[in-house]
Amino acid sequence: MSAKPGKIFIDNLWFNNPVLIQVLGICSTLAVTNNVRNTLVMTVGVSLATAFSSWTLSLMKDLIPRKVRMIVQVLVISFYVILIDILLRAYLPDASRQLGPYVGLIITNCIIMGRAEAFAAANKPLISFWDGLTSGIGYMAVLVAIALVRELLGFGSVLGFRVMPEGFVPWTIMITAERLLPGGHGHVARPEPAGAARSGG
Amino acid sequence: MKKKFDRENIAYVVVFSFVVCAVFVAGLAAANEATADRVRANREFASQAAVLDALGIAYADPAEAAGLYANAVRPIEGAVPRAYVAERPDGLHYAVEMTGAGLWGAITIVAAAGESLERLDGIQIIAQNETPGLGGRIDEPWFKEQFRGERIAGGRVRISAGAEAGGSGAKNPDDGLVDGVSGATRTSQAMELILAKAIARLAEVAGGGK
Repeated sequence: MSAKPGKIFIDNLWFNNPVLIQVLGICSTLAVTNNVRNTLVMTVGVSLATAFSSWTLSLMKDLIPRKVRMIVQVLVISFYVILIDILLRAYLPDASRQLGPYVGLIITNCIIMGRAEAFAAANKPLISFWDGLTSGIGYMAVLVAIALVRELLGFGSVLGFRVMPEGFVPWTIMITAERLLPGGHGHVARPEPAGAARSGG
Repeated sequence: MKKKFDRENIAYVVVFSFVVCAVFVAGLAAANEATADRVRANREFASQAAVLDALGIAYADPAEAAGLYANAVRPIEGAVPRAYVAERPDGLHYAVEMTGAGLWGAITIVAAAGESLERLDGIQIIAQNETPGLGGRIDEPWFKEQFRGERIAGGRVRISAGAEAGGSGAKNPDDGLVDGVSGATRTSQAMELILAKAIARLAEVAGGGK
């Protein structure tokens, strides 16, 4: 395959957007979009994890037996995500504390494994890195757009800065999905990353 | 032409899986080991800073915090969970750690009060895994600052939850009532329970218990 970097970028951002077209990673579009700052951090993490794991898996692709390829993919993805977590804890303890469970949950994002399977398994390392990175950017574009609306209406702010006037009544429904289900027993649609993102992509 | 290397051979699959796991896990172990001291120092600072925050002792940077902590605060030996005593101009103040169940995982707080247990000095959150943006907002300053000087009524400080919670911070320190986080009723309820346990523990420690 000899796709051009420019085309890969446009595809991943628009024509083959991981969320809108491939319908991957959609659990987190609900789980992590109730404020823009968290969404940005999460999507930057996903972009880096996708880029580096695609690169590594592409380097290893001729050595990986088909029988265990998914196990190896998960291993490599977990490796990078845990590495990010360790570095944050050591060098950015405040950010690490605020992110809490977010970082570990990147492992379960389907886009990472999707790109490893669909692109890195058949392409050279550098272009796989680029594909992973741009997939992450496509994911980021969609999630930040959703988060802008949800934070604006749910908290009356954007990136934590208040923009709505004093008397604005926040739409709590924008920042919680629990009450969307009849009876409010929303175990399926809880907005929390622990429930939502772990159920897969 | 050379025979193509057989990747599906069972012996290769086993050896490959083993080696790959060993290599990546060793990489993580090395990273963990290399940063262990830093992480420990960060934790130490976080724990000292939490106690100072709860007691309402202001500090500018980690070095000053360490100094103030060394001068003013003394851990109570043998206390489980951890408890601290601090000598302040107006008498002895106590700080205790307390852990309880949140919505997703354990929440650990530090709560501090003077000997008379009339009012809280303040609280600080050491660890929580609540939903970021919802329950996770218990770690935001507006929420924690509400407890500064709040009156303890009947052994607890109530946290309003659900529809009656303003979600922007209660101003009155005399009613023993603070605002919960809107959209995070269960986390707010959990905090009220954990705080009640912490207040009971403060009474125990102030009475000479461990």
